[in-house]
Order: sequence, then C-alpha cells, then structure tokens
Amino acid sequence: MVHVLGIHLPDNHPALFALTRIKGIGHATAHRLCARLQIHDRCKIRELTPFQVTSLASFLSSPHTSQTPPRFPMATSSYSPPPLSTPQTTLQADFNTVLAKRTERKAKAGISPPVDTLKNIKIETELQREVRENIMHQRTIGSYVGLRHAMGLPVRGQNTQSNAKTARKLNRLERFA
Amino acid sequence: MRPTSILLKSGRSAWKGPYFVPFPNLREALNNNIAIKTESRSCTILPTYVGIKFLVHNGKDYLPVQITQEMVGHKLGEFSHTKKKFSYKATKNK
Repeated sequence: MVHVLGIHLPDNHPALFALTRIKGIGHATAHRLCARLQIHDRCKIRELTPFQVTSLASFLSSPHTSQTPPRFPMATSSYSPPPLSTPQTTLQADFNTVLAKRTERKAKAGISPPVDTLKNIKIETELQREVRENIMHQRTIGSYVGLRHAMGLPVRGQNTQSNAKTARKLNRLERFA
Repeated sequence: MRPTSILLKSGRSAWKGPYFVPFPNLREALNNNIAIKTESRSCTILPTYVGIKFLVHNGKDYLPVQITQEMVGHKLGEFSHTKKKFSYKATKNK
C-alpha cells in the first residue's frame, strides 16, 4: 500500500504507469520521474524501496525546490582505469578537475546548462487552479471561449444539436469545483 | 525547448510572428478616441492597440470592442460574437 499526496498507487501496477494516476503526470513525465529516482521500467509499486517512496513523496510535494541531480561526464573510448591501489581521495580529485575543465569548456562555447523540465511540472491542486484561472481570464475579458464556458457548451465549434455531453459535464467557470 | 509554444499560444510558426493587419490610422484613433471600423477578425491584438476602440464586424453588424491590457495576444474576432442566443418569442395570433 503506497499513498503519495493522498493518492493510492496500486501495488501490482508498474511504477511507470501507476504514477500517471496523479493529475498532471502523463507517460512522458512518469518516465522522466522514474529515471530521476532510479526506478526500472518493470518495477512494480510493491517492489519500491522505502527510500524511493520517500524521495518520490518529497519530490511531488514540491517539484520547484527539488534538487537537480548532477551530470557526470562519460568516459571516453580511450579511457584506461587507474590501478586499483589508487586511493579514493586522488580519484575524487582527478574527477573534480575533469568536471571543472568540462564546465569551463562548455561555458566558453556558450552552451547553457540543460533545463530541468521536471522542476516546472504542475500537479494536482496547483494544476487545477491554473486551469480555473485560464477559464476565468477568458471570461473576464469577455471572449467567445469564456462565454461558451459560462454557457456549458463546446468551445471549439463542435455541434450542439445533439450530444455535446462532455462540454455539459466539464465546461463551467468553476471547473473541478 | 520549443520556443514556438512559449512565444505564440497558437500553432503558428515562431519565425512568422503573430498575424496582424496594419491599421494606418492607429495613432490618430488613440489620440482622438475614434473607433476603427474593421472586418479583419483574425488580426492579433498587439500591445500597441491597448486603449483603442474597434468596431469589429461579426458578419452582420460592427460591434464595439474596447481593447484592454489583458486582451493582448487574442484575436479581434474573439470579442465580436457571431451567434445570437436563442430566445423563444410567441407568434402573434397566427
């Protein structure tokens, strides 16, 4: 039994698909999130370690403040590993110099660090509020889209002689209310 | 990642920029508070249009549209409704 943000994630579902139960997380975001938390593709929810569950919960509670994981340079094809007797401190020092050189080279070439797309995701209540604000914006400026939302009718020119049932169900000024 | 989606809310290519029609009497209209009569409903509202009154054609009449700051980025036609709400009127004794 795993509950994240009050949402039940079914035990026997793969983590990749169970995450899409959260509003605002689709397959693409779930894939990225699993990669971030090092959850493999076939991993079921019941197989998650307690550490993974807590890190998942802490990430989803505030994606904006989450830490971007460091990006390490890949070894080149001509790389030969140092002898096993090398102490850990020298290995770390060598690694740090390589990393510094790399960041300097990238800065000189004008390559900005990659954007962390997971930081900008909006989920659950935050996403609902954004949708509601967008509808209210359309209504307050008096546009056709806002009018159709207020009338509970389709917004994008669909037929209304019959059906239009989804619009009647969803299109209102206070969506999700 | 995709500059187009940030720049323009529509599916239009970023290199084209927003679609708009040049109004030669824009400054005059703003200063003298003259309404601009237009039929170009698909013209994007630019930041320079703020405060101007347009008379936008809806297929039958020219409806007044006062441009405010929040309307920037929308089209002129969005504010000139083309459909009438149905209201039943009893026929006068045949």
